[in-house]
Amino acid sequence: MRKDAEGRHRFKIVFYGPSLCGKTTTLSWLYHKVDGLEKGKFTQLADPHGRTLFFDFAPMQATTGVVFDVYTTAGQERHKHQRKIVIQGVDGILFVVDSSSDQLQENIASFEELTTHLGEDLGTTIPLVIALNKRDVEAALPRSELIERLKLSNYPIYETVATTGIGIKRAFQSLAREILMIQLYGTKTSQNS
Amino acid sequence: MIDPRRFDSVLSKIIKSEPGIRKIILVDRTGLTIAHVSKFSYVSVDVDGIGAIASAVFMASAEQGSNLTIGGLDIVTSEFDTGKIFASACGRGILTIISDAEVNIGMIRLLMRKANEELSSILDEFLAGQPSRTFSGIDSKAPEVRTGLEKDELEAALRELEKF
Ligand SMILES: Nc1nc2c(ncn2[C@@H]2O[C@H](COP(=O)(O)OP(=O)(O)O)[C@@H](O)[C@H]2O)c(=O)[nH]1
Ligand SMILES: [Mg+2]
Repeated sequence: MRKDAEGRHRFKIVFYGPSLCGKTTTLSWLYHKVDGLEKGKFTQLADPHGRTLFFDFAPMQATTGVVFDVYTTAGQERHKHQRKIVIQGVDGILFVVDSSSDQLQENIASFEELTTHLGEDLGTTIPLVIALNKRDVEAALPRSELIERLKLSNYPIYETVATTGIGIKRAFQSLAREILMIQLYGTKTSQNS
Repeated sequence: MIDPRRFDSVLSKIIKSEPGIRKIILVDRTGLTIAHVSKFSYVSVDVDGIGAIASAVFMASAEQGSNLTIGGLDIVTSEFDTGKIFASACGRGILTIISDAEVNIGMIRLLMRKANEELSSILDEFLAGQPSRTFSGIDSKAPEVRTGLEKDELEAALRELEKF
């Protein structure tokens, strides 16, 4: 949590996960389709094909005094330095899993990298919420297998389809709530949902 | 907490001291815009987004320098057809100056050095109590006790979240 010069509380949320898992689509859906949050401009640093080069960014205001600054990372392997920069000062992580069966190793590698960056803070002082995305694809791995292989059983988990918005709002609400609860009461509130 | 207007007065002084400067943005190293002043405030720009990129560009250059083992970063200069952007380390923040193309670069460097001296301590004070994960590794101290007002604001946000 930081404060800006206008005295607003600013919380940094980062969407993390392997390349093409749906991070940008998730943010875009939140930005364009969810009412009730006042949004600033949507900034995208992407290549000509729309693949994220550095990050996407959109500030979302819950109340006049509380703003969530939401970032996505660039998922490709060669952008690992960019990811390290984007998660500086992060207050909460939405880890987006690609449920496609051929993406299991990519999910595992990305989650391991995230753990390396944040260590013990991940899921404790920095809340972590999981979006099992692309639940609509034919070759989606079963939820239980993903949880087991990625060792996700201790975190709140939401099944999402970013292209149609299924589950997105609830996953975001859950993360934002955790972040505020930690600020207010210093406790972790929810377990696996 | 210190009065944020102190940033404005320092930034206003800088922007007035050199005719070629159009805009100054002070950001932290996580992408947050702390303060900004502009000569042409009628041109509405997205300051949060610009600040996020300014911070990221500087941090990316610093990382590049470190990967290439060429030492610490002083100033990032970007030259455009009709303008320049300068970004320099400023204590725990990054000072970004947007200028006309023909601005006196030596003067900008001098201004940035002076600003650094003036702003570093104000920034330290401003950011005190805010997490400093960027610089001191893990900073996981329990949240300090909130003032009544802060608590009200955070609780209001919590209630707001249930609505949308
Ligand atoms: N079927 C399906 N496709 C998705 C879903 N989410 C994202 N995609 C697609 O996956 C591709 C990569 O998405 P993108 O958001 O750019 O991934 P990013 O690299 O994580 O930012 C795009 O073609 C999206 O339309 C989903 O839930 N289901
Ligand atoms: Mg993307």
